[in-house]
Amino acid sequence: MANRDAPSAEAEKSPSLFYPHHLFLEALTAVAVLLILTLLSFVWDVPLEEMADPGDVTYVPRPEWYFLFYFQLLKYFEGPLVVIGTCVLPALVFTLLILLPFLDKGETTRIRKRPVAAAVCLASLFSVVALTVISVVEDELHGYRMVLPPITGEQIAEGEDIFGRFCQICHSMDGKGGFIAPDLTQIGSRANRAYIERVVLNPQIVSQTTIMSLIPLSDPERHAVSAYLSRKKETGQKK
Amino acid sequence: MSRIYRFLDERLNLGPLIRGIADHEVPAHADPLKNLSAMIYCFGGIVFFILLLQALTGVFLMLYYVPSPEDAYASVNYIQNETSFGSFVRGIHQVGASAAVVMVSLHMARVVFTGSYKKPRELNWIVGIFLLLVVAGFCFTGYLLPWDQKAYWATTVGVNMVATIPLVGDFLADALRGGKEVGSLTLVRFFVIHVMFLPAFLVFFLAAHFFMVRRQGLSRPL
Repeated sequence: MANRDAPSAEAEKSPSLFYPHHLFLEALTAVAVLLILTLLSFVWDVPLEEMADPGDVTYVPRPEWYFLFYFQLLKYFEGPLVVIGTCVLPALVFTLLILLPFLDKGETTRIRKRPVAAAVCLASLFSVVALTVISVVEDELHGYRMVLPPITGEQIAEGEDIFGRFCQICHSMDGKGGFIAPDLTQIGSRANRAYIERVVLNPQIVSQTTIMSLIPLSDPERHAVSAYLSRKKETGQKK
Repeated sequence: MSRIYRFLDERLNLGPLIRGIADHEVPAHADPLKNLSAMIYCFGGIVFFILLLQALTGVFLMLYYVPSPEDAYASVNYIQNETSFGSFVRGIHQVGASAAVVMVSLHMARVVFTGSYKKPRELNWIVGIFLLLVVAGFCFTGYLLPWDQKAYWATTVGVNMVATIPLVGDFLADALRGGKEVGSLTLVRFFVIHVMFLPAFLVFFLAAHFFMVRRQGLSRPL
């Protein structure tokens, strides 16, 4: 808001020097920034996930938070339209950004006298924030941000029990169970735990036309089932 | 101290150089002591400081980091859990990346808000846009380096997006990956882009950015 009040003539007459006055302020600011970053780095755990596994096609990646808005935007352009999201829009935005000084040519720099510039900037800011929020909320709803508790023996036993009562009506396991739905004997080799969780939460991610119904499990129950199934690897044994 | 200075000054004539930098006048409307809201003028300076921190922590991370699929993950794990202050340095580098994005956005918002991109500062605005792209490039290439699941698959998605560009997309994607799949060549490429190419661009554009700020002075409200 510095611009709103024109600086008094007196203040303009006595500008301060870069050294030592301004450099000292800058050093102070730098120390403050360093302190804040240090604090944040302790609060904010630096994630290091499992080592990359090029064979695991069920992993759903998410970009760093500052690219989420763009990631969300791309979801709205499917199939042949994807080129609009990956190419046309970014080219357009950056061309407009570069041309901005030549489009907004008026003398005045005061934001209140530049309603068009102000409106465009606020609208872009709003879109970025909104897209980021939508992306986070959608991921929450579909279980992409689940924090899964470590697998315990108890959990696997409970999972086996729940699987027997609900899932085995349709799915077969080690030769027993229904045959309406795919055999899950070696599911642990094909899908990771997070993916199994998401399928139970929302069966339609496998296919839009799936006949699998939503199984009303509590969170701990679902975690137990996913723990049990993720351990059903090729030998059919618990790892 | 003053003797050392005199020694250097006699031989190199430092006086005018230092006076040029030190006696530069800071206008009152950008002086936080006279007007606290002038703090909005220091976002760019904070970005610069964070970039220095990133360079410093990055150099120390490089002491241990190995850009190969077999060793990258293990070396990051080693930095994180075995070396003294390793998790701290990596933490600063990670949080610094986010902080840089935040401060770049605020700096850009300030420039738009105060209309500072207008004549005669159009060129500096354009250099700023290039700097924005360089920072985004740092973020994108740095994401792959730990070689964990997130890194690998996010990069796969990112490069696939490049591949959708008409005509040149496939070529660009192959060039980025060093082949058809994200693998050891990709990792080395992203590493070299992250620590050699982009820093070179960064230094060049930053120098231009600062040179123009000094030549043109801070914009004042009109």
